[in-house]
Amino acid sequence: MKTLLRILIALPAILFLVTGLRWSLDPSSAAAALGMSLMDGVGRSSQIGDVGALFLSMGIMMLVALITSRRSWFHAPALMLVLVAILRVIAWLAHDAALALDMIMVELVVAGLLLLASSRLSQAD
Amino acid sequence: MTVSRGRLPLRLTATALALASLCGMALAHAARPNVVLILADDLGFSDIAPYGGEINTPTLSAFAQSGVRFTNYHTTASCAPTRGMLLTSVDSHRNGVPNIPETIPPEQSVFPNYQGFLGTNVVTVASLLQDAGYHTYMAGKWHLGKERDQLPFRRGFERTVTMADSGADNWEQKPYLAIYKKANWFADGEVFELPKDFYSSRFLIDKTIEFISSNADDGQPFFAYVPFQAVHIPVQAPQAFTQKYMGVYDSGWSELRKQRQHRAEQLGITPVGTPMVDMSSTSDWNAYTEDERRYHAKRMAVYAGMIEAMDHHIGRLVDYLKKTGQYENTVFIFTSDNGSEASGGDDPRSPLLRFALKMQGYNTDYETLGLKGSFNTIGPSFASAAASPLAYYKFYAGEGGLRVPLVIAGASVPAMEKPNNAFTWVTDIAPTILELAGVKPPSGRYGGHPVEPMIGRSLLPVARGESDRVYSPTETIGYELGGNAALFQGDYKVVINIPPMGDNQWHLYNIVTDPGETQDLSTQMPQRFQEMLGHYQNYVAKNGVLPMPANYDAARQGVINGILDRFGGQILLAVLTIILLVPFYIVYRTRRR
Repeated sequence: MKTLLRILIALPAILFLVTGLRWSLDPSSAAAALGMSLMDGVGRSSQIGDVGALFLSMGIMMLVALITSRRSWFHAPALMLVLVAILRVIAWLAHDAALALDMIMVELVVAGLLLLASSRLSQAD
Repeated sequence: MTVSRGRLPLRLTATALALASLCGMALAHAARPNVVLILADDLGFSDIAPYGGEINTPTLSAFAQSGVRFTNYHTTASCAPTRGMLLTSVDSHRNGVPNIPETIPPEQSVFPNYQGFLGTNVVTVASLLQDAGYHTYMAGKWHLGKERDQLPFRRGFERTVTMADSGADNWEQKPYLAIYKKANWFADGEVFELPKDFYSSRFLIDKTIEFISSNADDGQPFFAYVPFQAVHIPVQAPQAFTQKYMGVYDSGWSELRKQRQHRAEQLGITPVGTPMVDMSSTSDWNAYTEDERRYHAKRMAVYAGMIEAMDHHIGRLVDYLKKTGQYENTVFIFTSDNGSEASGGDDPRSPLLRFALKMQGYNTDYETLGLKGSFNTIGPSFASAAASPLAYYKFYAGEGGLRVPLVIAGASVPAMEKPNNAFTWVTDIAPTILELAGVKPPSGRYGGHPVEPMIGRSLLPVARGESDRVYSPTETIGYELGGNAALFQGDYKVVINIPPMGDNQWHLYNIVTDPGETQDLSTQMPQRFQEMLGHYQNYVAKNGVLPMPANYDAARQGVINGILDRFGGQILLAVLTIILLVPFYIVYRTRRR
């Protein structure tokens, strides 16, 4: 069970790392994968910097969590993912964005896995 | 306002002079001809009827009848270098496109003149015409760069619909090679989706007519560049056109090569009694089974149908210009980017090839050959017949790769009954167009920065019968592409062709009396031979021609470049991900122990 849980955390962690790296190597296709086009000027800088950093941070934190088994490392990416999902709903309700249900589901499932892992795999900080 | 009596005549005179000047300018503008530059893709020397072909090309025949056929016109042996030189009149090693980008090896691509896209150090004929008040249109294959700033809308073309790759499917928006993720079509610089009822030749002429119509009433002349996809692979044609040639090629490629040789001689395209070689890549027709011969004959029937379809659609453009009263003031220039294409082999139905094509969404079935979803080629044996009576074909520096049809017809070009045998070169087209338009070539600078000078000569004096030659017997023209090289001087040519078809040795031929390159004169004329080799070395030094890396293989390089171009990003991503993951894994394993 624990091994399966580790694998289920490691896979999205690697996916987040790849997505983060993709923002630095091929930002236009990385943007397209998230349903946006690559902007110009400062907008492009923010897209690559902020979004790339978000994904890389989450991936690295999840891998650190698996190695150290420290609870806070599981909680941090889970918090980020839950916030992303909440902001997506706010974007839909208040700002005419599309309701990206598939993405929200993935974010909540991974956040749930991280919280589950924090209780099953972790030791106290 | 009052005008004093003394000043009135003066003002009237000034007004009259201004009006006269304006009228003069208007007349001068009205006299400038429209120019339609039509470029076929991979069309062999004797494919069209005016050059000895059995293929029905009434529009091109009419051009040939009312204008001039050049029988000693040479281009480069591959598409992108030709297109670069055609539009800029600058040697391919100076304009950035010395080879197709798909096959430039890394040892060369580090040099600025070997980037595979048109450099900013050259100016296109379209830019110069646009500056001179011409409307400039392009519909067709570009292949001189696929980044936004490299597309034709940035190189002097006012309206464009263009395919940026080396080729693409003729029936749908689909890449023909696995090295491309998609067929890259653009309209006025933006990504473009082809219509559902697309067929390349019809679509390109439809767009050309649409562009011309959009400005037809403003009195300004136009320059329309129409680089067809026909007859590049995949060779595809509407069934009605293919049907006309079913049974025509049942006697095989060797017989066809002889028939075309004979007709070319009758038409005065080549000297009577022109000898020709049998290419080692030509298979024995009689060694094939009846079913195989039937299949090969249909491959060529589709090819012929594709050429006739192209001619038919050029005819639609001519009809449109006649109906709108623009035909009489239009000059047509028709040519090909290089000789016939031999790829595809003589066993296109082998299980391996069928599997590879199936992965691309293609089949090679007999029943649907040439139609949507079908991948057709003519292979080396029919390619040799398409270049009859010349030796070699596309990619090689033999005459079959370099010598292609050139017809100029229309306003201010008188009919010339006999074909013209003056040596002409691809860089001569742009200066010819500029002279037709009354526009001067760039003099050292353009757009605020230095540009390469045009090296070609206008063909109009020869086309009008005012001159016999474009180049004097002592002038030299050098050429190199992927290690295949040549130098022309007067009636002579030194040439080297690399393997697999070439022997990697220099030879000397008289290409006027022996266009088939059958008799090597290097031992009979050693002094001329050595002098011309020396001129070639000067050409190499002057133009920055780089040596090919040892063991260079264009096909292998094409696969490597294709993989890197299409999957290079993903490969780098995978490597970086692994590099990032390795420390985590090491720490993880260490802690577990």
